[in-house]
Amino acid sequence: MKTIHIFILFLVMILVQLFVPAKMIFDRENVLKTGVTYKFKTQPVDPNDPFRGKYITLNYEMDSAKTNDATWEQGKTILVYLEKDSLGYAKVHSVSKGQKSTDRDYVEATVSWNYGNSNTINFELPFNRFYMEESKAKPAEDIYRKYNRQGNNKSETYALVAVKNGNAVLKDVYINDKPITYYIERDNE
Amino acid sequence: MKSKLLNDISELLENNIISQEVATNITAYYKSKEDSQPNRLFTVFGVLGATLVGLGIILIIAHNWDNLSRSIKTVFAFIPLVIAQLVSGYSIYKEKSQVWKESSGTFLFFAIGASIALVSQIYNIPGDLGSFLFTWIVLTLPLIYLLNSKAVSILIGVFASYYACELGYDFGYMNKTPWLYLVFVLATLPFYLKLLKTSPIANSTSVFNWLYTLSFTVVLGAFISSNWPVGFLMYAMLFGVFYNLGKLPVYENQQLRRNSFTVIGSLGAVVLLIILSFNIVWDEILVLASLAMNTQEMIIATVLFVLAFMILLYTKKKEKAESFNLFQYVFLIVAIIFFIGIANAIVATVLTNIILLVLGLSAIKIGADTFRFSVLNYGLLIVTSVIVCRFFDIDIGFEVKGLLFVAVGFGFFLTNYIMLKKKKELNR
Repeated sequence: MKTIHIFILFLVMILVQLFVPAKMIFDRENVLKTGVTYKFKTQPVDPNDPFRGKYITLNYEMDSAKTNDATWEQGKTILVYLEKDSLGYAKVHSVSKGQKSTDRDYVEATVSWNYGNSNTINFELPFNRFYMEESKAKPAEDIYRKYNRQGNNKSETYALVAVKNGNAVLKDVYINDKPITYYIERDNE
Repeated sequence: MKSKLLNDISELLENNIISQEVATNITAYYKSKEDSQPNRLFTVFGVLGATLVGLGIILIIAHNWDNLSRSIKTVFAFIPLVIAQLVSGYSIYKEKSQVWKESSGTFLFFAIGASIALVSQIYNIPGDLGSFLFTWIVLTLPLIYLLNSKAVSILIGVFASYYACELGYDFGYMNKTPWLYLVFVLATLPFYLKLLKTSPIANSTSVFNWLYTLSFTVVLGAFISSNWPVGFLMYAMLFGVFYNLGKLPVYENQQLRRNSFTVIGSLGAVVLLIILSFNIVWDEILVLASLAMNTQEMIIATVLFVLAFMILLYTKKKEKAESFNLFQYVFLIVAIIFFIGIANAIVATVLTNIILLVLGLSAIKIGADTFRFSVLNYGLLIVTSVIVCRFFDIDIGFEVKGLLFVAVGFGFFLTNYIMLKKKKELNR
């Protein structure tokens, strides 16, 4: 193969290499700018990824739905249709295997467990990683514990998530309407 | 060039030991050898440097600079990537030396990882480490062929194994079989085969030999899902494939330290047999193994068996002088014992112990016949480990055990001594 042919193939490859991260950015920006924002109640814990750094894993309170269908398969992707409760938090409207003809927002989730005849399906929401500066991930978990230990019922932790056409982008994690980083910075001072 | 060599040549020339033509030939040979030497060293350092810089960038990114705005971070995601692409493009376009291609390819490999890591960090993109590694590998695979880069091929091999382990050794409910690992390995194979053809005894080719054997050995376990006792059979077949591959003409005449297939094939089979020589293991297999052909484990074991068998037939056909090496047939024997073990654990245990002892003895014989101390002691070690292992499950008194140990120690000493003496006599 001639150098020029290799070079052309190389150009094609670098276009793909540039396209993939660019598309990742573009898709998320689109959801962030034009999607509807939901609040998902959550609890954070702190693990670590060798390449992408520290993050907190978010365990969402919204992790199950009532259903009469007993044929859900573990590990399969399902669509969770959303609505807002009186306080503005996200709530399951219904679950479905395929798209329904409705304007209602939905997110994709993975079936984690299905007890067959209990009429309940458990699922995992995909936007469960919130990357943080390496010194802040562990304090974030501690702050969450602190605010929930005080017996303060008004303390609510939730994730702010933009949703559009089934795509969801996690924007930030809040405790009592303030970003979690606010508490970490305040405690550091 | 070394001045001592030049002096020697001129001295030999003056005394008419060598002709003028031979002298120029010798000088030219050492000159050409010298020319390629620093180049090779430079490649190694170039690749190492690029790896360190690339990994450094990834670590800096992993810190997560949350006081920078999203747009600035996005720009940073592309800077290393674009620089690496420009350098790689330049070295292809200007037909630069291999040093350039290897180093820039390595840097580009890590720059892609850095770029997608930063983007997924900025936007909290879900997905575990497995899916991240997958995207990374797919985007960098073409580099192997476009830059003709050994370094990138090695990196892909390592990262593909990492991907497979991440996916397959996760014992949660999400445990998946890393089938795409096979696709990645297949994609690197043409490059390896070309290396085998052009430079079979180069050091870099032996690095690939070791990479492939170690990768397969580590990753095969990730293909076991629920029918784990058949995993023993899978590994026995894999080591059978390795050992018989090692007997192919391309590898057989190489030094043992280059022929990873023979080394891992033989060692792996022996270690596996030692594990299987315990009766409790066969008791578990008897209860839990399923030989239904539709399980993933049985299919893989069968495929590996057929592969090993075909390579065995091929080498036997090519062989000029008839020779019998028991190690080549171990996979066949283990397959038979495994099917006996499904019905009767005791018989399988006894058979495994017998085959281990016979293997040890045959290694001792090969070692003694060819005067190779390493092979001789390898055989002795196999026999010793069988004896030592039986101490755990056979109830005998301490005095007998002690006597046996003394006997084994003497055996080691005596066999080596006798062989040393014989070798000296032969040399005389």
